[in-house]
Amino acid sequence: MSGLKSKATILLTLTLFTGLIAGCSGNNNSNATSPEASKPAASASGSESASASSEDLTPITFTLFAEDPNPNWNNMQDEVSKEITKKTGVTLDAEFAVGDPAQKVALIAASGEYPDIISAKGDIGKLVDAGAVLDLTELIEKYAPNIKRVLGDNLARAKYTNEDQSIYALPTWAAVDEQRFVAGGGFELQHRVVKEAGYPEIRTVQDYENVIKAYLEKHPTDENGNKNIGVSLNADDWHMYISVTNPAVATTGGSDDGEYFVNQETHEAIYHFRRPEEKEYFRWLNHMNDIGLLDRESFVQKYDQYKAKVATGRVLGLIDQDWDYNDSQQALKTAGKLDQTYGHYPVTMSKDIKESSFWPTGFMGGYGISISSKAKDPVRIIKFLDFLASDEGQILNNWGIEGKHYVMENGKRVVPKEVQDRINNDNTAFTKESGIGFYWNTMVHYGDGAKDSTGNYYTKNFPEQLVVGYSDVEKETLAAYNATIWKDLFPKEDEFKEKAYGAAWNISIPGEDEVSILGTKMKDITWKRIPEAILAKPADFDKVWDDYMKDLDKAGVEKMEKGYTKYVQDRVALWSAK
Amino acid sequence: MKAVTVTPTIKKRPRSGRFWSTAIRNRYLYMMSLPFVVWVFVFSYLPLWGWTMAFQKFKPGKSFMEQEWVGFDYFKELFRDDMFYQALRNTLAMSGMGLIAGFTVPVIFAILLNEVRVQALKRFVQTISYLPHFVSWVVAAGIISKMLSTDNGIVNDILMGLHIVNEPIQFMGEGKLFWGIVTASDIWKETGWNAIIFLAAIAGIGPELYEAARVDGASRWRQVWHITLPGIRTTIIILLIISIGHLISIGWERQFLLGNNLVRDYSQTLDLYALNYGLGMGRYSFGTAINMFNSLISVVLLFSANGIFKKLTKESIF
Repeated sequence: MSGLKSKATILLTLTLFTGLIAGCSGNNNSNATSPEASKPAASASGSESASASSEDLTPITFTLFAEDPNPNWNNMQDEVSKEITKKTGVTLDAEFAVGDPAQKVALIAASGEYPDIISAKGDIGKLVDAGAVLDLTELIEKYAPNIKRVLGDNLARAKYTNEDQSIYALPTWAAVDEQRFVAGGGFELQHRVVKEAGYPEIRTVQDYENVIKAYLEKHPTDENGNKNIGVSLNADDWHMYISVTNPAVATTGGSDDGEYFVNQETHEAIYHFRRPEEKEYFRWLNHMNDIGLLDRESFVQKYDQYKAKVATGRVLGLIDQDWDYNDSQQALKTAGKLDQTYGHYPVTMSKDIKESSFWPTGFMGGYGISISSKAKDPVRIIKFLDFLASDEGQILNNWGIEGKHYVMENGKRVVPKEVQDRINNDNTAFTKESGIGFYWNTMVHYGDGAKDSTGNYYTKNFPEQLVVGYSDVEKETLAAYNATIWKDLFPKEDEFKEKAYGAAWNISIPGEDEVSILGTKMKDITWKRIPEAILAKPADFDKVWDDYMKDLDKAGVEKMEKGYTKYVQDRVALWSAK
Repeated sequence: MKAVTVTPTIKKRPRSGRFWSTAIRNRYLYMMSLPFVVWVFVFSYLPLWGWTMAFQKFKPGKSFMEQEWVGFDYFKELFRDDMFYQALRNTLAMSGMGLIAGFTVPVIFAILLNEVRVQALKRFVQTISYLPHFVSWVVAAGIISKMLSTDNGIVNDILMGLHIVNEPIQFMGEGKLFWGIVTASDIWKETGWNAIIFLAAIAGIGPELYEAARVDGASRWRQVWHITLPGIRTTIIILLIISIGHLISIGWERQFLLGNNLVRDYSQTLDLYALNYGLGMGRYSFGTAINMFNSLISVVLLFSANGIFKKLTKESIF
């Protein structure tokens, strides 16, 4: 019945929404939605030019649904979006997921009311099953010279499966020719904590524990008498993966393959919690809890409470990704509490284990953007996406508008000082106004470190520019560790062998498949047992862990591993075939 | 201020032979009710067609005839799943507790409020008490978890201040406390609102009854016991029967917003289970099967409650 209840809900929502659009479109162009007969744009096909001037520019509105949130989205009223509308005539009526996006995609698939453009990440299978998305192969071939140019051979990695070699999702999450410079993961420590300890090497969980312990002993409370907190974990819903379970793999030398650990030789997948090494990681967290360094509310707090807590500057250490706590860090910067912002350290269980943040995955074709089978004008959409993939589109999204957000000085793109100041200190408002970065996963793009024909980087993430974004305190910390950027502290890409399948989390499994049902069951067991094990008395830890392993066995973990192994091996086969 | 008056009228139904003459006589009444009948049909009966999904291996995008029929497979799967029984237990436990608290507390509150003689105070208290009803669960959950927090939460601060506990209690992380927290927050949020209907019923009791009782020398307590309570008995029973019908569909917002992984064994309700294991995984048919089970149980509960009360108290809704 839920399906139908939801149908009614959708109907109602749509009715209200239509009313809303009708009400708001007065100052837009209310006749914009009339589908323009797609004329064959002979002039564009084959041309390598980034210009879209000869294109059909009649105003048109497309609906878009994206699984990833875009909290600063400004309904195309920001400067970059306005520029895009000017160049392509396209206005997006976008909706970004709130809560669990998988449920929303399931609703979209069942309702038959598909948005024109959908980015469904790992849930694309639901839409493919429903016939809700188009095979893009031909559209790309005919109308998208820029996409073809940027992706090149990587386009083969966008194929769906061995059996169905259609391209349903344009790979817009992965970056081409990427050389990453930003270290956003690892373990985080406030700059004041390492400073107080005299910048010791932070390489193992023991090092990490020691500095936090020492700092907390000296400064148990902040200036207002509120308790300082050692480490707070972010365990609300899927953040559990990021802050609690993935670090178990990273600290034990595994590469991030979602809930699995994949043997790089045989490509056999095991549920990663079953590795004995990881038990020791969780034992360490248990110990951290026992000695009072772990925030007691770690598994109770909601995401907004976590963010609020971090924004107070009382949390000395985090185990998280920068994008997950960035809002709070921006708040700390705005408040001028620079020594309470965070640095990233390659923490593992022991020194002989390499932190695997920079383990190269190669180009990953799994997540991407799709065009609905009911879209008004697929050709216009692919041309719109092609514009975004052009050099002009990418630079517009990454750098902003020339003369406003960046200037050309001696053939180099430079961000003027007053703009950089706003980026550093007033980030949210600036992003809202400028719209820089809104389209990074809507467009096929080059990665960090790739240069355009003028010899400039496509993105702003290159060492010289990164340093400009650092605060003085951050620079001071980095200097103390003889580093210029955080990545310098981490093991580099060339120390690892590139994975043949991208990353296992990026493989989408059909919902009805037993592997996916078992996966949800395992997740429920894990999410219950891991907190229990961490919060248990140290003496009981082994017992809880044994029970956890028994639960997994009982629920059929080996069956799931076998099923998943097949998906990984299929992916290897699909991607190695050229 | 809004006053809700409920006057349960139990009409005698006409015999079938007289149906048409009654229908013609009351034609305007029937016409007036027609839009609502259509409304109910469209929104409550038409969607029942979707129950067919539970017997199919439903794939979106295919037409009805193309779906594969699988009989009772999804129900078998459902009844074999341990988690289903856990969800059922949690649902019944929380709604049972909610039902008991949700009736006794508002009734007592309404009676007490009715005994307040200062009109201004009465109005004031009533308004204050039903304000939380308008706070959404998202906000309420935020307030509750902040109050119960171990990090400067007011409840723990008070307990610590009075030296009742030595160390803050992790209220939100204790599975056994979860049902209680949900019920207590329900009381906080809904008592005032639910009391309105009882206050209205009390207002409908004739003042001469109280006067007569006073003449006979009945105390305030005796008046409540012999006049007020019997006076609102019908209202209580009818609301009770309706609530029993809703026992199994207590929703999921509270549990979803207040719950976390530590208390999942106690917080997962049937609706959440349907959401996570049905819709969330694109298993439309499985989700439908769960909800169909819910609806059937609700109907059974409603009819049995109605039957029992009919026998015991001669009050019923049909």
